[in-house]
Amino acid sequence: MSAHHHVSAPERTRVTPSGLAGRGRLATLFGAALCVLAVVLGFVQEEGMARLQHGWLLAVTFFVTLGLGGLFFVLVQYLVRAGWSVVVRRLAEHLAGSLPLMGLLLLPVVIPTLFGNGQLYHWADPHELAESHLLQEKAPYLNGWFLLVRVAIYVGVWTLLVRAFNRRSLAQDDTGDPSMTIWMQKRAAPSVLAFALTLTFFAFDMLMSLSYEWFSTIFGVYVFAGSAVALFATLVLLALRFEGRGELRGIVTTEHYHDLGKLLFAFVFFWGYIAFSQFMLIWYGDIPEETVWFQQRWVGSWKYVSLLLLFGHFLLPFVGLLSRHVKRNRSLLASWAVLLLLMHLVDLYWLIMPTLSPEGASIGLIDFACLSGVGGLFLGGLWRRIDGKPLVPLRDPRLGESLAFQNL
Amino acid sequence: MSASNLHGLVAYYADVDSLLAAVRRVREAGYQRFDAHSPFPVHGIDPVMGIRPTVLPWLVLGAGLTGCAGALLMQWWTNGHDYAFLISGKPLFGLPAAIPVTFELIILLSAFMTFFGMLALNTLPLLSNPLLRTAGFGRVTADRFAISIEAADACFESHATRELLAGTGALSVEACESDESSAVVPKWIKQLTMIGAAIALIPPALIAMERYGTRTTPRIHVITDMDFQSKAKAQSASLLFEDGRAMRRPVEGTLAVGEWIEDEYRATGKVAGQLGTGFPYEIDRAVMERGRQRFDIYCGVCHGLDGLGRGPIAVRAESLEESAWVPPTNLHDERLLTVPEGHLFEVITNGVRNMPAYAAQLSVDDRWAVVAYLRALQRSRNASIEDVPTDQQRNFK
Ligand code: HEC
Repeated sequence: MSAHHHVSAPERTRVTPSGLAGRGRLATLFGAALCVLAVVLGFVQEEGMARLQHGWLLAVTFFVTLGLGGLFFVLVQYLVRAGWSVVVRRLAEHLAGSLPLMGLLLLPVVIPTLFGNGQLYHWADPHELAESHLLQEKAPYLNGWFLLVRVAIYVGVWTLLVRAFNRRSLAQDDTGDPSMTIWMQKRAAPSVLAFALTLTFFAFDMLMSLSYEWFSTIFGVYVFAGSAVALFATLVLLALRFEGRGELRGIVTTEHYHDLGKLLFAFVFFWGYIAFSQFMLIWYGDIPEETVWFQQRWVGSWKYVSLLLLFGHFLLPFVGLLSRHVKRNRSLLASWAVLLLLMHLVDLYWLIMPTLSPEGASIGLIDFACLSGVGGLFLGGLWRRIDGKPLVPLRDPRLGESLAFQNL
Repeated sequence: MSASNLHGLVAYYADVDSLLAAVRRVREAGYQRFDAHSPFPVHGIDPVMGIRPTVLPWLVLGAGLTGCAGALLMQWWTNGHDYAFLISGKPLFGLPAAIPVTFELIILLSAFMTFFGMLALNTLPLLSNPLLRTAGFGRVTADRFAISIEAADACFESHATRELLAGTGALSVEACESDESSAVVPKWIKQLTMIGAAIALIPPALIAMERYGTRTTPRIHVITDMDFQSKAKAQSASLLFEDGRAMRRPVEGTLAVGEWIEDEYRATGKVAGQLGTGFPYEIDRAVMERGRQRFDIYCGVCHGLDGLGRGPIAVRAESLEESAWVPPTNLHDERLLTVPEGHLFEVITNGVRNMPAYAAQLSVDDRWAVVAYLRALQRSRNASIEDVPTDQQRNFK
């Protein structure tokens, strides 16, 4: 039926959420207050500064990876000239839009390294540097100033990409100019390359260098896989939210959820595939300088976090999302999306926190304060970006295709 | 046209909507053996036609689970059970190491089931279909939609069915004749196939000849397996080390674990540099059995299992009339009956004149075991009836 029902795209899809700006401001205020609380707790609590830095890194990387996921989605839609996804693309654009601010929030963990504070990044500690020959060899790369420069480059590249794509997509809402789409399709391939490089080195610098003696070339892909899982989970939840509010009702259909579900399923497996590839080579090679990283994540209660990831981030959702009926059922899909979003948090927690509490997993008040603080800032920005702008790229040349999209 | 060679009727439509409406009518009229044809997949036509969701996904799931179980079982059986072989200290059957093969087999079987299952469920390949011979059907791959009803359907009745189809807004209704041409495969195809098969046999035959025949020149190595590896072999040269040898000596003043033997006599067969007599540890039946086994393996080939010096190598060397051949000593030689045990140990350890050393093949204690067995062997030639246990003495009368 599809090809023959001509949908009058613009009228039905002219949906502009309103009333979100106020809520956004509230979330920002709330977030800022909690960030201040986290810092205060960091000063008063024993060992609070180390916890604060770890918790902050966890919170910021969680939302940065969401933004990166959004950017990845947008770029890939133009790269492969996808038609089905137009109705949910604006949501991903808004998610990617959080990258400049979230990138800026990395500074609080980067700047201390300039002053020889090694509470988060042990390599920044001058004593460590003096004693470790290995670190001396790595120092030309692993030093505070160079880290600052690199992070500036990553965030700079993301900001440029986000602006280049989001602006044109929004401008097209007014002009309906298809050359915008063509422009973005042409830039998509090199942009994906820049995206892959910056994400990989971001993962190396901000996460892998927490254990500076350890290395894994697949690490960037691992973080990417997690980001993609988080993105598709978030997209599902956001689309449901705006379907519930009415804006996307009748626009995002079961067919789109089915496709988002397929991608979520695919990336759940991709994450498991990459995680296992990393694990198995290290397990098989059995070289102490490599195995130590997994050993640390098998000590005490860390073992249970590792198992939680194996089951919660991979095996259970894999089986759970296997059936098409689940992907086409909004509430089931939403449940898996919530679980996977949580698991992404656990995944990052598992990457970051063992350097803080090697003897076993631990959670502090500061972690919650950081997470909800940065989360508030993230949501505040997101709501305000969404507010007053068309939620569907209403003059995208492929919108009709997306509206009429059906899975076989 | 008689009804007997009528395959069915085909009705043509201009667009999807009229096709769907017609399909509904046909189905309501009770027809079952009908099909709809379209240049592109039509969303939602399955339920309209009464086609139930395919069972293929379940078959694929089954194939995947079979692959999973089969792969795990196979690896457990081959590596962990049937031929336990320790590889770099890993568990004989380690789950992580088994995952890649398991993963691949799940994918392989699932993919096969998807592809071949799809073909089978669609009863493909179908080499000929009478519909293809009807005049209008060609346009179904371009811009026409069609419904075909088979004459075999219980409700089919040439006239009534034609009326029904015409009444669904069909552009035209066409009769489709059964394909009456012979279904026998033409002779020339059979002949060509046989010739092709015969030609196809030549390469494997050549390969088999190359691989299994005897030849005087080195074989062509197509699949080298692990025959040529860039690794250092025993006794070979190596550019890596200053002394040019691939085999490394232990670092000076070191011994491998378990190599150090405190007792000088046990280690060298000598006491204060002089060949000693007797055995450094107690000789029991187990040691004697071990000695016999080692002797039969390492000494018997030359000296013979009886020690008379007529082992298979000696016999063969004689038959070839090798002039440089020194015959193995008869181990029952008068002199050897009285030499100290240390001498025998020394001969095995370092070799003697034309006999090579066996220290590399036989551990220190194995050498003593061989010496003990050799002594028993010598004794057996000079024994008296009293040496035989009483209950077995009558066997020798
Ligand atoms: C490759 C054939 C070969 C094998 C195998 C072999 N020998 Fe010999 N053995 C000889 C030859 C040849 C001689 C005589 C050497 C000569 O006179 O130059 C000899 C001599 C001897 C002698 C006499 C030494 C002496 O004092 O004159 C003894 C004892 C002996 N072998 C014991 C053994 C034992 C025990 C083994 C098994 C570990 C063994 N041989 C394996 C070929 C062999």
